[in-house]
Amino acid sequence: MSTFIKDFIERETVNRRNFLLATAAGMGAMAVPFAFGGGAAGAAISDPAIAWSYRDRASAYWNSIVSGGEAFVESLGKPKDSLVSLINEGSSEKSLADIKAFLAKTGGKCAIACDANDSPNARPVVEAVHDAGAYISTIWNKTDDLHPWDVGDNYVSHMTWSDEKPAEQTARILFDAMGGKGGVVHLGGIAANNPAIERLNGLKNALKDFPDIELLDAQPADWDTTKGTELMASFLTRFGDKITGVHCANDNIAYGVIEALRAEGIENMPIVAYDGNPEAVKLVMEGKLLATVFTNPHWGGGITAALAYYAATGAFKPSEEPKEHREFYGPTVLVTKKDAADFKAKYLDAVPSYNWKDFWGPSNGQIKYK
Amino acid sequence: MPRILTRENAIRWAPFMVLLALIVLFTAINPSFLSQRNFARIAIAAAPALMVAVGVTFIIVMGSIDLSMEGVVSLTAVLFCFLMLALGGTLASGGWIAIPVILVVGAAIGLVNGFIHVKLKIPSFMASLALGFVGTGAAILLTGGDIVKFNDPTFRALLTWRILGFPLMVYVAGLCLVLAWFIQAQTRLGRYFYAVGGGEELAHASGVRVQHVRMAGFSLAGFFYAIAAILQVAKLGQAESVTGSNFMFMSITSVVVGGVALWGGIGGVWNTLVGVLIVAVINNGMVVIGLPDFLQAAVLGLLVIIAVILSTDRRAVAFVK
Repeated sequence: MSTFIKDFIERETVNRRNFLLATAAGMGAMAVPFAFGGGAAGAAISDPAIAWSYRDRASAYWNSIVSGGEAFVESLGKPKDSLVSLINEGSSEKSLADIKAFLAKTGGKCAIACDANDSPNARPVVEAVHDAGAYISTIWNKTDDLHPWDVGDNYVSHMTWSDEKPAEQTARILFDAMGGKGGVVHLGGIAANNPAIERLNGLKNALKDFPDIELLDAQPADWDTTKGTELMASFLTRFGDKITGVHCANDNIAYGVIEALRAEGIENMPIVAYDGNPEAVKLVMEGKLLATVFTNPHWGGGITAALAYYAATGAFKPSEEPKEHREFYGPTVLVTKKDAADFKAKYLDAVPSYNWKDFWGPSNGQIKYK
Repeated sequence: MPRILTRENAIRWAPFMVLLALIVLFTAINPSFLSQRNFARIAIAAAPALMVAVGVTFIIVMGSIDLSMEGVVSLTAVLFCFLMLALGGTLASGGWIAIPVILVVGAAIGLVNGFIHVKLKIPSFMASLALGFVGTGAAILLTGGDIVKFNDPTFRALLTWRILGFPLMVYVAGLCLVLAWFIQAQTRLGRYFYAVGGGEELAHASGVRVQHVRMAGFSLAGFFYAIAAILQVAKLGQAESVTGSNFMFMSITSVVVGGVALWGGIGGVWNTLVGVLIVAVINNGMVVIGLPDFLQAAVLGLLVIIAVILSTDRRAVAFVK
């Protein structure tokens, strides 16, 4: 036998052995949280350090999340900067490394609020926190098979937002404004993003009840204003007067659509958006947008930190809470012309002060998996 | 009589032929592509990108590269909006002062870029990329991640006021293009760009102060990025820390597709104009003919390669880095 073939067989055998060992280790690791479920979280931490782990500061959304976290730490009588920002810059590796560093620095005496950047990263993050005896609440990203009640008290809660229903509601408002007939175009987010898919699905659900409305085309505008203008301009060439309504996946795209139409001198095109940013709410009040959807990131940012904090101090015991308090949908508020002024006064002009111990008041029911 | 159908002429006019071929192709599939209104839409999309691409053309002609455009455009756009709002929020109320100020700021950022590259001897690729990040970071710092809206109707006339069916900003971009051509063809600086790009040591030996030429080039590029930022604000009515995104790919691609050689010394602003139009026509045309979105990125990439193949004189190039 040539050495090449011998080496090859040897290598493959070793690989197979490693694979089996790794599989066994993996299954063992999966069993660990079940075995220690609830037990590992024992003594309460008297004054846990608080951190928020999130993507970046270049967006209104994450700024709002952080402002909520800061409002929460201020409610404890601490200064704003006692909330530690762990910015992952879109990297799951950095997200995990930062959290491990924070756990080491505080010796596990901490409460962490976190968006794990992508779904698979949630498990290693949660396990690291569990092993250190600290407490974590997550938002947005986690895999469907990871549940707080399987990990124990250290994984306090997970919150996400379902965009399908609200996007369907905005679509219905749009179709009513179109008089129940005509052509609609959809300018979407980055094609593979979950919210982009859900928001398009919402539109399609509403279309079923409006047989005289045709979805002319749906194309990604990557959540981006510039892309929104250029895509809308191209749609105008392709469909011309057939377009009688526009469904946008977020506010930024809608700003672009409005500018593309302004360039053509087209006023009064019915447009709906999503996100409830201050500028978009102003446009709703002016009648340039029919509707947008607010997800209250300020409250989300504060309450996620509060859940982890109060579980850490022992103010409540997560394992004694029902499942809808461990995995739940965040609030969505539909903003239309009729309520935009009230909405602005309530949420934007002055940031409402929330009771950070009312953990589930504005939430929206237990998460359902498809 | 000189022969028209020479090899050199074929290569010289190849990008323009590609542009015409694309227009014929898209029109054949959807005739509404060939309409004045659609050309106006393409021109609006292309105007800010053209200014960025013209700026980087000077750098590429010198054989360097500038990747700072996204950060510089974002930062100057944000500064422009803040300055306009601080000066009363309208052009008439004194806001016009913001325009020359921002152009100077753009040129100054470019000068810093050139200084870092030339005096600290950092490759232009790295120096400009890093400075671009600084620009984006500064824009985030200034805006706190929020959008700055600026909707003075007089200023927005750049988008809304049309002459012969094209918005004013298209003519402004055209004038700036003529200015760029004038610098390229009629000034000593323009000729020095080609001298440096064609052979830096030779230029140096002939008495060209290469370092000064390089710094002037980067400064000029910054000036054109600032024009792009102003046109982008006119187009969108807002500025934010991501206002400059996508300009890097769009401008470098356009410059190369138009037939400006990345190794320097070849091509000029007219090539860039054709290149920008090719990319804008492809982007618009793919939606107009109803190409599924998952194919668009791939088709754009293929068309770019084809355009570069046709517009490169491979006999004149010994090797490609």
